[in-house]
Amino acid sequence: MNVKSLVKRNYKKQPEIDFPDYKSSIFRAPKNKKISIPSNLEIFGPIFNKKTIGELDNDLTLNFSKNKNSPLGHKIIVHGTVSDQFSNPIKGALIEIWQANAAGKYLHQDDKNPAPIDPNFSGCGRSLTSSDGSYEFLTIQPGPYPYPNRGIEWRPMHIHFSIFGESFGQRLITQMYFEGDPLINICPMVNSIADEKAKKSLVGKLDTSRSNIQNILAYKFDIVLRGVKQTFFENRQEGL
Amino acid sequence: MKNSRNILDETPFQTAGPFLHIGCMPNKIKINNLYKNDLGEVPFKNKNEIEMITVEGSVFDGNGIALDDVMLETWQCDENGQFFEDNGFARFIPDKSTKKFKLLTVKPGQVENLDGKNQSPHICLSISSRGLNMTLNTRIYFEGDDLINDPILSMIKNDKVNIDSLVAKKIKKNVYVFDVFLQGDKETVFFDM
Ligand SMILES: [Fe+3]
Repeated sequence: MNVKSLVKRNYKKQPEIDFPDYKSSIFRAPKNKKISIPSNLEIFGPIFNKKTIGELDNDLTLNFSKNKNSPLGHKIIVHGTVSDQFSNPIKGALIEIWQANAAGKYLHQDDKNPAPIDPNFSGCGRSLTSSDGSYEFLTIQPGPYPYPNRGIEWRPMHIHFSIFGESFGQRLITQMYFEGDPLINICPMVNSIADEKAKKSLVGKLDTSRSNIQNILAYKFDIVLRGVKQTFFENRQEGL
Repeated sequence: MKNSRNILDETPFQTAGPFLHIGCMPNKIKINNLYKNDLGEVPFKNKNEIEMITVEGSVFDGNGIALDDVMLETWQCDENGQFFEDNGFARFIPDKSTKKFKLLTVKPGQVENLDGKNQSPHICLSISSRGLNMTLNTRIYFEGDDLINDPILSMIKNDKVNIDSLVAKKIKKNVYVFDVFLQGDKETVFFDM
């Protein structure tokens, strides 16, 4: 019988959980080592219905606008593919995004940054990937913003991504940064990842081919979820 | 067969930050008329409430403070051990004033392990928040079930792990308490699977 299992996670390519440069982690990061167990239920996962996704859910320039007024800032396309580690495109993956507005302000009561909210921008969007694993959002360029860490520090411009693939064990929450932003290299959250290549993989690349066609700046951000492999497993009899 | 040398690196995690509600549960923070419903508001549609259980608890940080800016997500089978693609997923946050989360769901049935052994009923739980550079994964087992013969629990019990932290305590009929401790003496067991 063929049994599915998840490819072991490579923690060298992941952020350090216990990373005091990011102050909030000090009293939240678990201190004990994770316990390794074989994946089982986690091979399966929720599949989200196309019908739950609204037509404008991936257009943040319109999904919260009043009387078709545009949010402030310049429009950008953020697009790419979701695949697994074996380069198989994942169709129907749910991508949810959230971001600050052009002034670096979130539409959230806990955001204490003294910057203006934009009445036409929620910063909230979602999409399901197509059969080739591709996705696309139309949004505006988020601003960088200050936040309390070791004193006041600045987050590079970023968009938060939450992704569900086919299995609960593939679940990923991450952030996309923007090519050329000088704040990336001094951000403790980025630097919680030691591996340079892994760090770079979170930077959306300016995609001029796409930008020229649509007259809007475009960024490409490809996402790789854990691989699900099929292995042959001999059915053992009870008591053997 | 694909060459294992061509295996791509998984995209790294980054913290969900304090504003994850905007993207994952906008209705909860009064960003209304965008999505009809937040995803995972109920884990199972069309279940009889009388047969449901409640799992409630808090998520504590290293200072013993119950957090209200964490997001919890659960994934489980139904009472017969069956999986469904469009059922079994729930997403919730602790209440702002009580700092307690509450999951109303069916008690999961037994599910078969790869080698055919039955696993004790459990719910997969993931936790994301500000301060967590990666989403954490754990499991909720239930007091009163046969936990001694569970293949996963018996596999890890020799590692001096805090198995107690994985077991929801029954406080009355159909009500269980499951607290999560991110740090400290009672630190919850988190899994890599
Ligand atoms: Fe942010």
